Amino acid sequence: MIVKMKMRVVLVIAALALALPGAALAHTALCTCFDNADGTITCEGGFSDGSSASGVALIVKDGSGKVIEQGAMDKTSKYTFKKPESAYMVVFDAGEGHKIEIDGKKILE
Amino acid sequence: MQHRKPVAAIIAALVLTLVLPGLAKAHFQMIYTPEIALDKGGEVDMRLVFTHPFEAGHTMDMGAPEQFFMVFQRGAEGEPQKTDLKANLTPITWKSLTNSGKAFAIKQKLRSPGDYVFALVPAPYFEPEEKAYMQQITKMVLNVGGIPGNWDKPLGLPAEIVPLAKPYGLYAGNVFVGQVLADGKPASNAEIEVEFLNHAPAMASNSFEKKAAVTAPHDCFVTQTIKADANGVFVYAMPKAGWWGFAALGVGPVKEFDGKPMSQDALIWVKSVDMK
Repeated sequence: MIVKMKMRVVLVIAALALALPGAALAHTALCTCFDNADGTITCEGGFSDGSSASGVALIVKDGSGKVIEQGAMDKTSKYTFKKPESAYMVVFDAGEGHKIEIDGKKILE
Repeated sequence: MQHRKPVAAIIAALVLTLVLPGLAKAHFQMIYTPEIALDKGGEVDMRLVFTHPFEAGHTMDMGAPEQFFMVFQRGAEGEPQKTDLKANLTPITWKSLTNSGKAFAIKQKLRSPGDYVFALVPAPYFEPEEKAYMQQITKMVLNVGGIPGNWDKPLGLPAEIVPLAKPYGLYAGNVFVGQVLADGKPASNAEIEVEFLNHAPAMASNSFEKKAAVTAPHDCFVTQTIKADANGVFVYAMPKAGWWGFAALGVGPVKEFDGKPMSQDALIWVKSVDMK
């Protein structure tokens, strides 16, 4: 019985190991930010396979690379923050190979 | 006396069945815009034209649509958001190669990445030659930024084609697979007409270009006919890049309008691109 259980656990792990790298490779992280023209910026993210970006880290850095805001995409895969007064950079960080950096200069209405 | 009514109903049904398939031939309601896979949002310029797309032929006068809306969704689990667009339609005159017809234009701002499913329920159109009405419920799916959403979700229309292949991500030569639904249920063995938009629409002048992309070797290639299976699923391989229209004829539940027979059809337009 115990042997059987162990076998099952091993099988589940093997299945996960086989499934996960594929899942990560088959999609691309995507993120777009807009200037709302009211002193705020909204970023909307997702993945090319339609999976949710809810909970994905959204980091705002100043011109020197210092983190000035750190949050997570909400349940609609959106994050809104106050527009920094000087140069800034947005990082959508969904892990290894799924990181997007957007220069604040390129964020328009 | 009482048994006469069912007989009359059967005769009426038979007449409708005989009349309807011929009725809608080669008429295609279009929702057209030059590009449907957009990298970024912006203002999307669209035209609603009721025409014969392969020949850029006779264009019918559209009445004020019953419904025209879009449903936006980002991510497969995202919240669908419906926006009524009827009030933003501008009446225009569309010039075909043979006549002019009443049509509509709309410029719609799209910002967020995701899918935008456009749906048009036009006013029933009276076809004088057939002494019958037709209503072609038409869909077109556009994507911004590559994040998919609700492209494969039914909108709950009385008659609709639900894509089973992402309709804005098709290469020329790919198959387009769709399911015909009538009142949300698969329309078994539905007959589907397929037409290629053979004359490029010129947006600025609201007309078709004179130059045709291809020449049909026989009349049966102008409007191709395919059948759905028992689950309402159909498959069509697109031999050329461009816009392809699919029209499932007479599948909708409404069979009569204003005391005359009506064919309520389900349409979808997809665009294929060359692999370069």
